Amino acid sequence: MADGEPIIRLRGLAKSYFRGALEIPVLTGIDLDIPRGAYYALMGPSGSGKTTLLNLLAGIDRPTRGELEVCGYRLNDFDDDTLAAWRAQNVGFIFQSYNLIPVLDAYENVELPLLLTDLSRAGRRERVMEALDLVGLAAQVHNYPRQLSGGQEQRVAIARAIVHEPDLVVADEPTGALDARSAEEVLNLIQHLNQELGKTIVMVTHDPKAARHAHIQIHLEKGVLDRAVEVHDLPRLEPLSSGHVLH
Amino acid sequence: MKYASLVLRSLFRHRLRTALTLSFLSLSVFLVALMQGFLGTLDSLTTSAASGSRLVVQDKASFTNTLPESYGNFLRAQPEVEAVTQFQWFGGEYKDPRNFFANFGVEKETYLKAYREEAGLDTLPPEQVRDFLRDGNGCAVGRALADKYGWKLGDVVPLASPIFDMSLRLNVRAIFKGKRPSDEQVLVFDLKQLQEKVTWMKGRVGAFILRVRNSRDIPRLCERIDRNFANASPETLSLSENAFNLNMMKMFGDFGTMLHAITSAVLFAILIVTASTMAMSIRERSAQIAVLRSIGFTAGKVMGLLLAEGLLLSLLGCILGLGLAVLAAKAAAGLASAVLPWMADFYIPADTLLACAGGTLALGLLSTFVPAYQASRKPIVDALRAL
Repeated sequence: MADGEPIIRLRGLAKSYFRGALEIPVLTGIDLDIPRGAYYALMGPSGSGKTTLLNLLAGIDRPTRGELEVCGYRLNDFDDDTLAAWRAQNVGFIFQSYNLIPVLDAYENVELPLLLTDLSRAGRRERVMEALDLVGLAAQVHNYPRQLSGGQEQRVAIARAIVHEPDLVVADEPTGALDARSAEEVLNLIQHLNQELGKTIVMVTHDPKAARHAHIQIHLEKGVLDRAVEVHDLPRLEPLSSGHVLH
Repeated sequence: MKYASLVLRSLFRHRLRTALTLSFLSLSVFLVALMQGFLGTLDSLTTSAASGSRLVVQDKASFTNTLPESYGNFLRAQPEVEAVTQFQWFGGEYKDPRNFFANFGVEKETYLKAYREEAGLDTLPPEQVRDFLRDGNGCAVGRALADKYGWKLGDVVPLASPIFDMSLRLNVRAIFKGKRPSDEQVLVFDLKQLQEKVTWMKGRVGAFILRVRNSRDIPRLCERIDRNFANASPETLSLSENAFNLNMMKMFGDFGTMLHAITSAVLFAILIVTASTMAMSIRERSAQIAVLRSIGFTAGKVMGLLLAEGLLLSLLGCILGLGLAVLAAKAAAGLASAVLPWMADFYIPADTLLACAGGTLALGLLSTFVPAYQASRKPIVDALRAL
């Protein structure tokens, strides 16, 4: 559960796109604090700006105006390379369509973020195997994405998102391409990351069932924060299919 | 090294396309290396050190005309001259018109002085020199030619010349080892054989070859000789042996310009094809590139990975193409020397191989640079949106 200290602090955050001189606002005046260890779901209709907000706080897009502070750093001040280095240390990404590199096997896909660290080959191997074990795919390390089911691919993507031990994990519709059973497994896994590993999770979703796994549901409407809803009846945490206990 | 697997796998993600591009690249490198090697061989014919110390005196109107043997008196009297030999192309065929090789009537004794490097005089056993000089029907042949036709010392070689409409039966008296493979593709015999048996060759020679002590004297000597025979009939044309060889080459056309033009076209094609392949390959992966950058790969690192792919593709094409070119040059030297003796010297020099390798790698980098730069600089969210 959240420990109260904000890991994300947004003040007057705005993002616009420009078509010539015409400014098209996507987000306007977002003020938001997300405590460390929290699990937030960003919800709203298409075009409400939820993915744009996720991109901004993950450091892959830049705001037009406003303050953006994540994991203790003011991202507005960073140049592209510093921002990349910051992402490499602090953020794990889970995408709707998994986005595994098709020519790399599960092991190599998970290893990718660690290539940016100083870890030795043996050190990387240990971490990759831990992450794959955690998502229940230790037996599929040498399977290529085409040899995995959608649910398995997303679990590999989750392993890749956490292998470098980031504080923040962002997920954009992580269950959007999955069947109900696989979606539930993935959501349960993400909930484990939050509750047992203390990862701060920010997840964009359309799915109210998926959003029920979050502590707070933030609703966006036409680029502004409409309301925040606290979720009181979180789903019961199921044991991981791997049988792994997270600490 | 930790990125090697990623680069390698990405390069071979479309095996057929990569294989086709590699085939094209290696074929192009193969052609460029062969053409440049060929040009180098031609160039060596016109810049050889031994040739640089000799000059040719021929009929001014055409080298197919003959000169009076008496011109030799003036030539031998020049202080810069070390040796003067006489020379006549025979064009003889051995048993079959297909068995064609270079054969000349020469003034034997002076030939061995003027062409001591080519005739391998330093390694030729003295008894063979003696037998060659003594026997009026004797001939000296290069080792490669003797090996090719299985000739041994004492064998009789019948040669039929369509030019002179006559046949000679020559005794193999010396088998020499030349400095270059092409030196060994030659047969020489006594010019007197022609002067005595062919009416219009009496007292005539095809050309004089002069060996000078100092190659710097050649231009001055050429001018003096031609001035001396300016009002004679026939007039002479004197030129260095390298220049003479160059003129012979030009009879076949301007190889240099033609091959350089083809080389340029092939290099341009390499640039276009590699650029197109890499652009296609990179564009297809723009989402994957965006994922790498989301994970924390900087634009510079992504660009480095893509450039490494282009470089690896070029390197593989280069190794394959150059390897094939070296093998083909060896085969061509063996096969073509039967018709063109100087082709026995055909090989691809190390500097040509290096230049081809350097050029191909540079083109590989250049052709990947633009698509790699664009892909690595594309905003991450735009690339992800394309998913």
